[in-house]
Amino acid sequence: MDDLGFTETILTQDTKISARGVQVYYGDNHAIKDVDVDIEDKTVTAFIGPSGCGKSTFLRCLNRMNDTIDICRVEGDIHIDGEDIYDRAVDPVQLRAKVGMVFQKPNPFPKSIYDNVAYGPKIHGLAKNKAELDEIVEKALRRGAIWDEVKDRLDAPGTGLSGGQQQRLCIARAVATEPEVLLMDEPCSALDPIATAQVEELMDELRKNYSLVIVTHSMQQAARVSQKTAFFHLGNLVEFGETGQIFTNPQDPRTESYITGRIG
Amino acid sequence: MTDTSHISRAPRTSSLLTEDARTKKRNAAEARFKIYGIVAIAIGLLFLLVLLTTIISRGTGAFQQTFVTLNVELQESRLDKSGARDIEQIKKVSTFGYNPLLADALSQSIVDNGFETEITKSKALRQLLSTGAIGQLRAYVIANPDQIGQTVEFNFMASSRVDGYLKGRVTRESLARDKNLSPAHLDLVDQMLAAGMIEKRFNADFILGADASSNRPEQAGMGVSMIGSLFMMLVVLLLSVPIGVATSIYLEEFAPKNKFTDLIEVNISNLAAVPSIVFGILGLAFFIQFSGGVLGIQSMKASAPLVGGLVLTLMTLPTIIISTRAALKAVPPSIRDAALGVGASKMQAVFHHVLPLAMPGILTGTIIGLAQALGETAPLLLIGMVGFIASNYPDSIMSGLTDPNSAMPAQIFEWAKRSDPAFYERAWGGIIILLVFLMTMNIIAIILRRRFERRW
Repeated sequence: MDDLGFTETILTQDTKISARGVQVYYGDNHAIKDVDVDIEDKTVTAFIGPSGCGKSTFLRCLNRMNDTIDICRVEGDIHIDGEDIYDRAVDPVQLRAKVGMVFQKPNPFPKSIYDNVAYGPKIHGLAKNKAELDEIVEKALRRGAIWDEVKDRLDAPGTGLSGGQQQRLCIARAVATEPEVLLMDEPCSALDPIATAQVEELMDELRKNYSLVIVTHSMQQAARVSQKTAFFHLGNLVEFGETGQIFTNPQDPRTESYITGRIG
Repeated sequence: MTDTSHISRAPRTSSLLTEDARTKKRNAAEARFKIYGIVAIAIGLLFLLVLLTTIISRGTGAFQQTFVTLNVELQESRLDKSGARDIEQIKKVSTFGYNPLLADALSQSIVDNGFETEITKSKALRQLLSTGAIGQLRAYVIANPDQIGQTVEFNFMASSRVDGYLKGRVTRESLARDKNLSPAHLDLVDQMLAAGMIEKRFNADFILGADASSNRPEQAGMGVSMIGSLFMMLVVLLLSVPIGVATSIYLEEFAPKNKFTDLIEVNISNLAAVPSIVFGILGLAFFIQFSGGVLGIQSMKASAPLVGGLVLTLMTLPTIIISTRAALKAVPPSIRDAALGVGASKMQAVFHHVLPLAMPGILTGTIIGLAQALGETAPLLLIGMVGFIASNYPDSIMSGLTDPNSAMPAQIFEWAKRSDPAFYERAWGGIIILLVFLMTMNIIAIILRRRFERRW
């Protein structure tokens, strides 16, 4: 058993998520076509591509959020730390505690700032008492780079914050459950440039502890924050590689057309 | 100089300062539509005004009743011949035995006050008072046997004809064809009125009392049927809210979308449109004839508020389910995503986040469903919850649920179909009470909605 555990840890040091032959169908619509990708630990991986190319759909496969859509069907293998997340034995609820998610539109619960962050740890039983919970909340809010702004009004409703603050609160909420992977679905598309800069700075900070996967429409953002970039087009993963290489020396003509603005 | 500069520009095709034909037409159409709307609202308000003034002008009379103040000598010779004050002996004197006391008291007051009247017969004199007066007198004597032999001041209800005379319903002309009272009585009433023996005042018994037989309209009250309604609402609340809310949550959040759930959805929508009398006959067939008759369940019998409540539950369920589902649908999906995203299970997402947000809508739907059930009459007619209620107030919750009773709207219907115009007035009064209940429930719905409403 020890040997097996040892080999697994060796394997996970580089690759956190490994997807092989992933197909996604919405009813009859083939949304993701045979995608293979390896996402590394402690890096920011950006998914770029035109609208409707399947990048958000693929992202939602990684924490099985697609399960909530009745007509959605996922085929192929997705492994996190060598474990098949679509295995029958996997409870998606447990998976989602390990793979946190931040959504396009800031969606804090209509509760206090404190309760927003404390909710995840509470339902997963991460805190034994109030003092521990307070500690977790503070730590999460600090990681979300919003602690200084809200520490005096933790009882204020989370929905009363500005858009950028709300999104950082949602990031704090996502990290409060101590996930290993953080998925972000266009986290800055509803934010102004200043709030975007704050969130991007935060992503760079979070990279030290988590494997980050972001979907973005902004190529500049992908270039700024990510180390790896994947380009999706019409449900295909066209190109995947180092961010610098994708933006300066794309191998595929479609990638080149997209980043130079000819398709999209 | 200015002229030349104008000419040099391209000629203007139209001016912004004048409306062209199309704009004129469009604006006229808009103005016309606004007028239609205002006229529609005005007509609606007019009808409401007519309705309210009619109800109030006809119904308020029922809350007032005419009372006669009379000194009655509790004659020992008639009530307790032995003089032993033995309560069992006193009880043996029936209400019939109290009639002479009233007649004597009335004759005495005529002599004392110097009234002039041609009425001499004691029976004719007693027609001034409600037939319930002897019962009131007897109850007093049994409660206070030590007062026998004394003269005590009583407040008796006047008979409904005297009451009607004070309220303007009965006139000397209308009495020509009425054997209950004669114009001579009215002359006496006028004199008693002048002497302050008769007065019209607020009558709490109309709100709290029981129904009375058809020859004593002055004693009839809404109280017992109100209790019947209350027990029915209790059954409806306890059954329809949990069943309705659980159904909606399952259908909206958990159920797979397939032909079977579609069929259920269509059926629920159709049930909401089924005439209530259909539920009544269903209740008669299933609850009373099958459950009560074939299966022999004792409490499932005709006229029982329990059965009424079950029938109204069937009727209210579709309303509650539809409004609850609408409220759940209105919660933005981003909230569910947020909860699932931090690893909440589907049930936790629903109960911790979706349900609290849907609460105002659910409460409003529930209260409106209850208010609808409270005012429902047709199904009650079929399960026998209409008619004269012989029983008085129930003494326990179980007897409240199973003893024959009526409900407020059924009681109003019952009064409205009785021949005596005094009952007609009470029917209007009953409608005021019912409307007050419905309005209170709607106000509660508004307050709860305000309280629970949260922004997201």
